[in-house]
Amino acid sequence: MDYIKKQLPDSLTKTGGIMLAVGVLILIMAFIFTPQRAFFDYLWIYLFLVSIGVGSLALVALEYLVGATWSTPFRRITEILASMTPVLIILAIPLFFGMHDLFHWTHAEVVENDAILTAKSPYLNVEFFIARTAFCLLLWVMFYFLLTRNSEKQDLDGDPKFTKRNVTLSTIFAPLFVVTITIAAIDWAMSLEPHWFSTIFGVYYFAGTIVAALAATTYASVKLKEGGYLDKALGNDSFYSLGTLMFGFNVFWAYIAFSQFILIWYADLPEETFWLIHRWEGSWKFVSLALLFFHFVFPFLILVGRNIKTNIQALKWMAPWMLVAHALDLYWLIFPTLFRGNASFGWQELSFPLIVIGLTMVVFKMSANKKNLMAIKDPKMEMGLDFHL
Amino acid sequence: MSLDATYTREIPLVEGKTSFKEIDDVIARPTETKPNIKWFIAIGISSTALLTGAVCLGLTFWYGIGLWGNNQPVGWAFDIINFVFWIGIGHAGTLISAILFLFRQKWRTGIARFAEGMTIFAVMTAGIFPAIHTGRPWLDGYLVPYPNQHGLWVNFTSPLLWDVFAVSTYFTVSFVFWFIGLIPDFATLRDRTTSGIKKAIYTALSLGWRGSNRHWQHYERVYLILAGLSTPLVLSVHTIVSFDFAVSVIPGWHTTIFPPYFVAGAIFSGFGMVSTVLIIVRKVFDMEHIITVNTLEKMNKILLATGTMVGYAYAMEFFIAWYSGNPIEQFTFINRAFGPYSWAYWIMFSCNVFFPQLFWFKKIRRNIPLTFVLVLLVNVGMWFERYVIIVTSLTRDYLPSSWGMYFPTMYDFGILLGSFGLFFTLVLLFAKTMPVVAMSEIKAVTEGAQPSHKHKHE
Repeated sequence: MDYIKKQLPDSLTKTGGIMLAVGVLILIMAFIFTPQRAFFDYLWIYLFLVSIGVGSLALVALEYLVGATWSTPFRRITEILASMTPVLIILAIPLFFGMHDLFHWTHAEVVENDAILTAKSPYLNVEFFIARTAFCLLLWVMFYFLLTRNSEKQDLDGDPKFTKRNVTLSTIFAPLFVVTITIAAIDWAMSLEPHWFSTIFGVYYFAGTIVAALAATTYASVKLKEGGYLDKALGNDSFYSLGTLMFGFNVFWAYIAFSQFILIWYADLPEETFWLIHRWEGSWKFVSLALLFFHFVFPFLILVGRNIKTNIQALKWMAPWMLVAHALDLYWLIFPTLFRGNASFGWQELSFPLIVIGLTMVVFKMSANKKNLMAIKDPKMEMGLDFHL
Repeated sequence: MSLDATYTREIPLVEGKTSFKEIDDVIARPTETKPNIKWFIAIGISSTALLTGAVCLGLTFWYGIGLWGNNQPVGWAFDIINFVFWIGIGHAGTLISAILFLFRQKWRTGIARFAEGMTIFAVMTAGIFPAIHTGRPWLDGYLVPYPNQHGLWVNFTSPLLWDVFAVSTYFTVSFVFWFIGLIPDFATLRDRTTSGIKKAIYTALSLGWRGSNRHWQHYERVYLILAGLSTPLVLSVHTIVSFDFAVSVIPGWHTTIFPPYFVAGAIFSGFGMVSTVLIIVRKVFDMEHIITVNTLEKMNKILLATGTMVGYAYAMEFFIAWYSGNPIEQFTFINRAFGPYSWAYWIMFSCNVFFPQLFWFKKIRRNIPLTFVLVLLVNVGMWFERYVIIVTSLTRDYLPSSWGMYFPTMYDFGILLGSFGLFFTLVLLFAKTMPVVAMSEIKAVTEGAQPSHKHKHE
């Protein structure tokens, strides 16, 4: 391969840093004027960063687990995106201070007068919640360091033993990831409405996370390819596979979302339907419809053909589209708890795009500085670059 | 994709240096030679089982379904258990032939044809049960919505009706997919055979295939499109089967994870059955170099993955039953695990979740006799899963006064036996008359079939 390492431009840190600073400023103002809303914004930001970081980590593990070769040229980019994972530990701390504002079940007097919440209190209590969050985060960070360390060491000598080690690690990580992402889904999103429950919720959350991580990898890869940071041999057929996987997981997301919706709608039990009703009241109806069309219907119709996915210009548009759709999905999951009756998007919510994009740019640049942008000596690399449909 | 220890090249899927002629000879041999005594013994057993089922079914038609163990409150029992079981078996075939094709998993080549055939036979077997459980199968024509003089219409809002559409569409597409794949091989058999009758039959079936470049181009395009169509279909079928239960408000049935859980379970059970049959077939037909240990190991990995997914669903159901704070849900799941049918629950749990965990170990994955035992257990476990879901929930109704128990009769067992008889009779006939491995496709994955030049990047 003829890959030569080129440093990413410093403007990435500058622009990203400015966006991040402005975003944080807006968020601080929000904390001063509307503290509860600010915590919901913070949760929204946090969950999106979880999708980018932990979702990417899962994709890295997935490649090792299934022995894919076509994705090897992209894997380092996914690893760099996964470097958001350690940052999540620090970012979790403010979340703990906002628990009272976010989670109804933390109010002792409410729980006392509510038989159902009292019954749930062995699970939904502050200490156990923090312990679970800490467990999930530490596990993710541990696997992030183990997997990326082996991958980077391989850049020096190309020893296949590192691949073998990562295959073993990924195998161990797979079931643990499923358990932790389910805990994350239940704790951070489902328990916002503590009375509500759905057995499929963990799968729903997982599906959205993977779509977002794939979209992030696709966008970053296209941009880097255009900037000439990647090997010239990396062809459109490889991008096609990324696009196809994104399309496939998006259909999977829609399938899970539809399953959850139709079963609750059809059985019509008040203990479940209220959650959907909150998402159909007032202007929430339009958010729900937007989710249907922008997360599923339009991307499905656009991405179903073959030509569009081999066209990296088109992917450069569709990947951010899917990221916005995922942000909408998280908004739809989180905010109906706060805005009963009508959806709202105020100046406080501007912190979301600024912080998410800014922080991702800064973290990406910092992480990429020290590494090659491709896993140059990975034994699967040659087959990966040689990939043709 | 299977890579060697250095992760730089693919392991050839067919073991040893096999010439194209040799492959044709091995695969076509069962269709060209007289069946041996083993085959006659096997079909003797399976057709006896089939006839037993036919007798029980005949008696049911004559006397009515009162012969079965179904009662109040257990209105659904073996009939629906068997339906879901057989439909599930069918799913592995489509997964292997369509979904693994889309995922470019070439190792599917050796097993795809057989698995597809099993899909067709399993769906045919499954189709019998909803038809007979109505009690008056001669009126089943009304399941098809058409304007009639009685002004009778089907209930479009019922998932039971969606089943009619889903299963019949699935059967049609699977059949077309299977048949399209067979065309080049029928042409090979046509060219090889010396018997006049066989020649006429294979000529008709091969639809004028000459193997020209243009034929292959069309063939590959159609194959890809059908794979794309089959993929959502296979998901939709078991999803709608799960809706049969999940849209109702019966505790233990109404839970949102049912659709993906049923699909994972279907693939799991189907792989169990495909493995069971293939382990025998590769031995009997000397195809151990075509259906290799590597392939079986990969199937075992899929069994491990899907079995664990099913375990995840069991765990989620239990957890959410507790988390919901709904006492009726909680009772249902405690009753499943520790009530009068706890034996069925623990058979299900151990066969589907516990024993497949042994596949974490490479030694066990590559041990064929042990794999055979474990996949048999998967078949047992997945039958019991449907037993647990259907029977335990129905025996414990909302009103304790209408609680009851379910005891199957010999007619229930007879019809179950008959379903296995039908399935295996069809499998045996298939193995005798058609190539059980895709001859044309397998040649593309032998050593030396790849492009001989190495693409260079400059």
